[in-house]
This record gives sequence, structure tokens and C-alpha cells, in this order.
Amino acid sequence: MFKLNLKIAWRNLWKNKGYTLINILGLSIGMASCILIFIFIRYQMSFDEGFKNEDKIYRIVSTWDYADGNQFYSQGVPLPLTAAIRNDFSPYIEKVAAIENSAGMIKIKDANGKERLKTIENVFYVEPEFFEVFNYNWLSGNYSSLADPNHVVLSKEMANKFFGDWKTALGKSFSFDDKVNYTVSGVIDDVAENNSVPLKIMLAYKSFNNNRLTNWGSVSSSSESYFKLKPNVNIETLNGPLTSFIKKYYVEKAPGKEGHLFQPLADIHYNEKFGNFSGRIMPKKQLYGLVIIGFFLMITASINFINLATAQAVSRSKEVGVRKVMGSQRSQLIIQFLTETLTIVFISLLIGSVLTEIALPGMQNLFNSKISFSIFQHPIIFLFMILLVVLVSLLAGFYPAMIMSGFNPALAIKNKVIANTGGLGLRKILVVVQFTLTVTLIIGTLVILQQMKYVREQPLGFNSSAIAMIDLPNDSATVSRFSAFKAQLKQISSVEEVSFCRTAPSSQNNNGNTFSYNGGKDADFQVNTKNADEDYLKTFDLKLTAGRNLVKSDTINEYLVNETLLKKLNIQNPNEAIGKIISMGGMKAPIVGVIQDFKNKSLHENIDPILIGSLRTRHYYAAVKLNAKEMMGTMKIVSKIWQQTFPESVYHEAFLDDQIKNYYEGERIMGTLFKVFAGVIIFISFIGLFGLISFVATQRTREVAIRKVLGASTMEIVKMLNGSFLLMVFLANLVAWPLAYLFVSKWLAGFAYRIDISIWPFALAMLISMLITLITVSIRSYWAANANTIDALKYE
Amino acid sequence: MIEIKNIEKYYASKGVKHYVLRHVTTSIKKGEFVSIMGPSGAGKSTLLNILGMLEESTYGQYEFMGEDVTTLSERKRIELYRNHIGFVFQAYHLIDEMTVYENIEAPLLYKKIGNSERKSRIADLLDRFNIVAKKDLFPNQLSGGQQQLVGIARALAAQPSLILADEPTGNLQSVQAEEIMELFRKLNKEEGITIIQVTHAEKNAQYGNRILHIADGVVKDDVQVG
Repeated sequence: MFKLNLKIAWRNLWKNKGYTLINILGLSIGMASCILIFIFIRYQMSFDEGFKNEDKIYRIVSTWDYADGNQFYSQGVPLPLTAAIRNDFSPYIEKVAAIENSAGMIKIKDANGKERLKTIENVFYVEPEFFEVFNYNWLSGNYSSLADPNHVVLSKEMANKFFGDWKTALGKSFSFDDKVNYTVSGVIDDVAENNSVPLKIMLAYKSFNNNRLTNWGSVSSSSESYFKLKPNVNIETLNGPLTSFIKKYYVEKAPGKEGHLFQPLADIHYNEKFGNFSGRIMPKKQLYGLVIIGFFLMITASINFINLATAQAVSRSKEVGVRKVMGSQRSQLIIQFLTETLTIVFISLLIGSVLTEIALPGMQNLFNSKISFSIFQHPIIFLFMILLVVLVSLLAGFYPAMIMSGFNPALAIKNKVIANTGGLGLRKILVVVQFTLTVTLIIGTLVILQQMKYVREQPLGFNSSAIAMIDLPNDSATVSRFSAFKAQLKQISSVEEVSFCRTAPSSQNNNGNTFSYNGGKDADFQVNTKNADEDYLKTFDLKLTAGRNLVKSDTINEYLVNETLLKKLNIQNPNEAIGKIISMGGMKAPIVGVIQDFKNKSLHENIDPILIGSLRTRHYYAAVKLNAKEMMGTMKIVSKIWQQTFPESVYHEAFLDDQIKNYYEGERIMGTLFKVFAGVIIFISFIGLFGLISFVATQRTREVAIRKVLGASTMEIVKMLNGSFLLMVFLANLVAWPLAYLFVSKWLAGFAYRIDISIWPFALAMLISMLITLITVSIRSYWAANANTIDALKYE
Repeated sequence: MIEIKNIEKYYASKGVKHYVLRHVTTSIKKGEFVSIMGPSGAGKSTLLNILGMLEESTYGQYEFMGEDVTTLSERKRIELYRNHIGFVFQAYHLIDEMTVYENIEAPLLYKKIGNSERKSRIADLLDRFNIVAKKDLFPNQLSGGQQQLVGIARALAAQPSLILADEPTGNLQSVQAEEIMELFRKLNKEEGITIIQVTHAEKNAQYGNRILHIADGVVKDDVQVG
């Protein structure tokens, strides 16, 4: 029976090739989009999974609640915290471990003592307990060796890179930053890419030296702390001890109120408030957004199917009647029709899989992730595809199957089944739903593109073009070479300006400090401190509004401030601030100039109060302003000079424009996704509309012929057939507007600098949708109107 | 085999009842060949539909093989279709997407008849109706008479005891019509299959052994034919 059903299904599909093609096109594109979305989400959800007792693993993070209502968050903790937790929380937690992210230059010598490899690598200082919190796969050695200083554990990849073969790496050594030698005491299997702690080189924590080791007042995002709860201990039971812990270690003199939270391991990949070492965060709401888009696409494609199936139902009514009098049960008919749907959906899945494979590289590129479409590696993808087929078959097939199997046999046999059986009303509603989704996505896309353009064209308050940021090796040995290096750079004719600084005016790397103004008590907000030399203003084209520039100095003896700082201190006249003393961390210096505000972070955020003072030991970058016409050649000369000046280090450059562009990576991805999916949904909706108008035109062939005989012109007939569809799309626009408004206003609220929502994207979306409808419907009804009159009237 | 008593059928519109059938009472015995005759709109087809359980009467009793049809469940009715009743239509109503062979096979599949038995029955029918050569053709490749032969073969496949035929020769030319009527007479005489047909033509009615004349929903005349 199933085989026969399948055969009949196939013949039916072949007979209605046009409609079948429309259905398969729509469904396969929709399914490909869904599969892509699913494998992307699966990849994102796989982060930080697979550890033993992973639901018992937590990260300690820091929060500050300021009096002015501002809240700050950090993924890091004060350095003495881990030891204190180990001591104070011992009844509750099994193990706690500190991990410190750092980077440095690794040099490896061969047997003859000749330098074989010189590279800058990201490293982690790790306490041995870390490996009791997280169980990794050990290939050789063990973690207890990390209890002693000067030991290092490598990942297989790194061990292979440094020593040729990881099997021989044990006992070998390398030098780190020319200061310390580390001996390899263990090798672990490579940590998968979907991990928030991308361990590659693990140095013994005991070798980590920092003047903050006992300082509770300083938190760096590179110092994290993880712990594992004891079995049978609930995380809530730690709340009480945490309150007393905070009281015990923090004296309430700082302006902010320090606090800590225990963040579950499973939250780390999704929580935007805190970062992580891998730098990869995928907010859950973005995943939900993708799920919704996937749903939209599947619903749109299914609506095509339902509309075309119920439209064709009448022509199948005779078959239904005959089958019923032959003794077919209704359920058997339903199964037969669902078999047909299943056949279409299955073919669509196969084509969809091919499309997925084709689109995958683009997707990997867009998200910069190594996602794979391997159903053997991830059987859950296969499960999802089966589920998708079943779900879509039911969604698309069930209603038409119910309608068709419900025909009264006596009427069906006499071809007296009424053409719509309530279906045309439903079809109209479905078309409206379909176009509501389409128009919503079009509006969303237009607004996102508009906002992106706005962000791109937003004046930053400084000039970021043609500026290369070059790393400066900053230690006691290299600092002394700075001035000679700068002088050499300035001699290059195509170098316009050079400034040594801690960060560019706009940077992700910010440094907050408490301070006091004019001998008062500590201000109730933190100031963003940038260190830069006297050429900073010229290089970045920053404008002074009062006072003067810094004079050349190697240590801080005067400050520049920005207008926001004065505004926060309630100072109206910038000249008033000149000469006032700022004291910060035991250092006192006068304000000598006020600079115009510039955007110092992404446009999601407001401008910080900023303090600039010259401090050579904090100059980590050389900002080189180039002549835009000779950038490539100039950079070659710059890098050559750099290598001559700092032969022991590794050169690295980046362009400021690219760095700023990177702030909006998330928006760029959203924009691209929306553009693609809006295109897809427009395509699916309009081929569906084309199918439906084809059906209506066929159904009304006789009427059209009679009208033509009566003297109607082609135009009048096209108009007659178009009317109702334009009305439906218009209605869909009306429904879509408030929906889209809600969506885009919520999205825009995430930007500190944003466009006002205007009528234009809405009007444009209406224009686009109406225009495409008009074209689609007109072409098809023009055919109908021009069909041969006699052919249509010959029968009956 | 069939007992109907006081069958009435009307359609109510705006409070007015439009009667299609009134007080129809008759009984049809096993082995009869009954023709229902009458002018257009007399209610012939409605009566046949009620006998075939495709429509329900508004009032009245209907017993089929001793069972009360008015209270029959859907499942029971389908059982009757599968085992006892075969339909033949004026417009043949073969399933366009199925070959001749598959059309005849369809009722056997619903009856869940085993593979080998199915094959032999179909082969037998194809052979008997001389359409072996046509078994892989689709309905639209056949003439009207051939299609009706397939239609009858399909009706017979399940070996029913009753055949209901609504103007079986209405769309056919007279030579083909005669062949079909001969076939009906043969089935009735030789295999004892009860046949009820609706027809316009007096000539066709003569093939049977009883004629019910219906006009305005009432049985006017019930005649036995030689």
C-alpha cells in the first residue's frame, strides 16, 4: 500500500510540475536556512561542555554598584581572592583555582644553542587545582608538576609546534620574555575550539609575578578564578558566606560597592556582561532571533504548500470520492495525502542539504567559526533533519489532508465540491500572514542597514584614518630606546605624525581609576586613564577647547581632561579647570588642557570621562599617522626600523580603522543575516504568490474568456485579477508595521547613538512588497488574459 | 437483501421543505436486476445514493442484509463497501494517476487481499473483459467504452454481491452501451450478482427483470419484466 501511495504521489507531483517546483524550491531553501541555523546554534550551545560534573563548576566574577546607579562588571577578580576563597569557603567547595591570561615572547633554542623559534604567544598562568576543576585529557606528564615554578604544560598542538613531536617534548625547555626558562612537564590533548578557556600554554602560577598580588582594590579582566562545588552542596548556600566574605575583605572606602557573583560554567559563553578568555560571546537573544527567523522561513514555505495544496484539492475530489466508495477509510486517505507531502518534503530536504553544503563556507566566514555539517560527527543534526521533515510534513500537509479526505463522496463524485470549502478565506488569511512576516523582515533589514550606515558616518571626534598601531615592547631594557625609535620614524618622509601611547583614543582596552579633583574627596565615578605623549593630539587630530597641550615628559606631571569629565564634575567653564590638581593613586598633577569629547568606545556606549597624562612606562603602542597614498611602502620601512631597534621582540601592527570596524562585528553579522534571510523570505513568498495567482487564473480561464468575448480589454482583465492580491499585501503591511516597530525599537535601544525611527523604512517596505506583487501578479494574469479565447470556451 | 420503508428526503430552505423522495417503500431481493427510471429531477439518483449509503435519508428505515443502515458506524459502512457493494459511474471515475491494472487493484488493497490472490483475480478480470493488452495504460489513453469496462472490472474485483450503477451507459455510444448492458445481464444471470441501475433509456431497462418508475419523488409503478 505504501509503495503504491508513493507511486501515485510521484505521478501526481509530476503531473503538476509547476506547483511541485514552487513547493520544492520554497521548502528546500527554507529547510537549508533552518539546517544552517540549527548547526550554528548547536555549535554555539556546545561551548564549555563535556567536563566531569560540569554543573558544579562556577567562575567567580566581580561587580560594582555605584551610587549614581551605574553598574560595572568584570570577568576578573582581585589577585588575592582565590587564596581567600580557598580558605574561607573550604566547607563548600572542592577546589578553587586562579588562572591568569598573559602573553609573551617564547624563544626555543636547538641543541647547538642556536635560536630556532621566536614567537609571541598567548599564555596562561595556571594553578594545578585548575585541572581538578576541569578534567582534561593528559597525554603525558601530570598537573601536580605545576605546583613548582618554572614548569609548563603544553597542548599537543603547541608541543608539536615547539619541539616537532609532542612525544619528545617532556623535559625540554624554552625561555619566556627572555627572563624565565620553563621546562615542559606535561602535554594535554588539544582543547576543542568551542571552549571559553583556550588553553595552549600553561605556565606554573607560582612563576606569575605581579605587584597586585596582594591588592584587593584592583581587578583585571585577565585574572579569572574557577571553582568546583562539593557534591551535595547547593550554590545558594554560598550566598550567606559570600556576604560576610565581602565585608571581611573590602573596606568601604572605595566609591563603588564591590561584589562578587558565582557564574555557572554554562552561562559563560552567553553572558554579555562578562567576557571570557576566548573572546567569543554569543548572547542568547541573538540565538533566539535566529530561531525566530528560522520559524518565519519554515512557516512561509509551509503556507505556500498549504495554499497550493488546498487550491488543487478540488481537482483531487473525484479521486477521493471513488476511493471512499471502494472502501477507503478517511485515515487511509489522510495517510495517502501525507505521503505525498512527505515525498515533497523529503526531496526538498535532499536539495536543502546540498544548498546547506554550498552555503556553509559563507556561514563559517560570516561567523568566523569552524561549524561543520557532518551528520556522522553530530548525529543530532540528523535527528534535527528528521524532526524537520516530520514537522514540516505535518504543518504543511495535515490541513490539506484533512480538507481533502473530508469531501463527501456523493458530491465529490459528481464534481460538486464547492471550490473553496472555506479554503479561499483561509488562503487569504495565510497569504496575509506570509506577507506580514515578509514585510516585517524587510523593515527590520532596512532599519538595520540604516543604523549601520549611521554608525559608519558618525563623527568620532578624532581622525582614525591611515593610522597604524604598532606594538611597543615595554620593559626596562626597551623603554630607553623609545626616543631614538621615534626620531627615526619621524625621518621617514611619508610618516606624518608619531605618538607613543597606551591606547588609541577609541579602544576596547580601557583602564578605570578612582581620583579626586582639586583636593576634594574621591569622585563618585571612575575616570578612564589614557597615557600618551605630547604628539597624541596632533596624531589623532584631537581639538583643545581650553588650555594647552602636554609638554614632553617621561612621567606624569600634567593632565589633559575631556569635556565629559568636567560635565560630570559639574564644571561649566572649561577654563575654570585649568591649573586644578588631580590626585590619583598617590600621584598629583595639574590639569593643563581640556579637549573636545571624542567617542572613546563603540557607539553602543556613552563617552567616558577621560584623563590623559604622559607616562613612558605605560606606552604600549606607537601610533603612526601615514600618508594615505604610500601606506604599504611606508609600513615596510617602519617594520624594518622596528626590527633593528627591538631585535629581541616580535613585530605586530594593526590599523585603527579596522579595529574600530571590529566593534560592530555583531551588527555586521546581523545585517548580513537579515539581508540574506529577507531575500530568502521574499523569494519564497513571491513564488508562492505566483503559484496562487496561476491557480486563480486557471480557475477563471472560462470567466476571462467570456469577459473577453463581451469586450473586456486585456488591461481590464489584468486589473480584475490583481485587485484582491494587492489588497492582501496591503493588509499584511498594516499588520507588519506595529510588529516591526516593536522589534526595531527594541534593537535600536541597544545603541547609545541611534537613528530616529522614521516612516521611510516602513513606506519603502510597503512600496517594495506592493511593487513585486504587482509585477508577479501582472505577468501571470497577462498570460491568462492573452490566452486563446476559443480554447477556453470549446468545452462544456 | 434490501428493505426500505417510508424513505423520505427533503431539503429545507427558508422554512420550506423541498421533497426529493416521499414515502418510498420497497424491497429488493438477492439476484434481482432492478432499473430505476424516471424523468430528470425525479429523485432516481438520490434513491440510488441512499441505497449506496452515500447519502442519508431524512426519515425512514433502511435494512441492508438484515442490518439497520441508519445506525451503522462509519467502520461498518466501509466494511460493506469493501465486501458487498460495487459502484459503477456514468463518468467512469477511474483514478487518472493509476494504470488500468492499478485501478482494478485498488479495492483489493483496501480489502487487504494477499499479493498472489490479488494478482490472479486481476489477471482473471483483465482476461474476461479482454483488456489484458491495456493493463499498463492510463485511463485517458482509453475510449469511453473501454474505460467503463475497467470501471466495471474494478467494481467486480472485490466480488461484491450488489452493484449500484448510476447511468452506466449515459456517456457511451449505443453499440458500446449494448455491450455493457449485455455484460450486466450476464453477471446477473450467471453469477447471481444483484444489480440496481439508474437509467433514462427504456431499452436499457429491458435488460433487467424489474423496473421502478419514479416521478416527483414517489414510486409510481413497480413492474416485473419478462
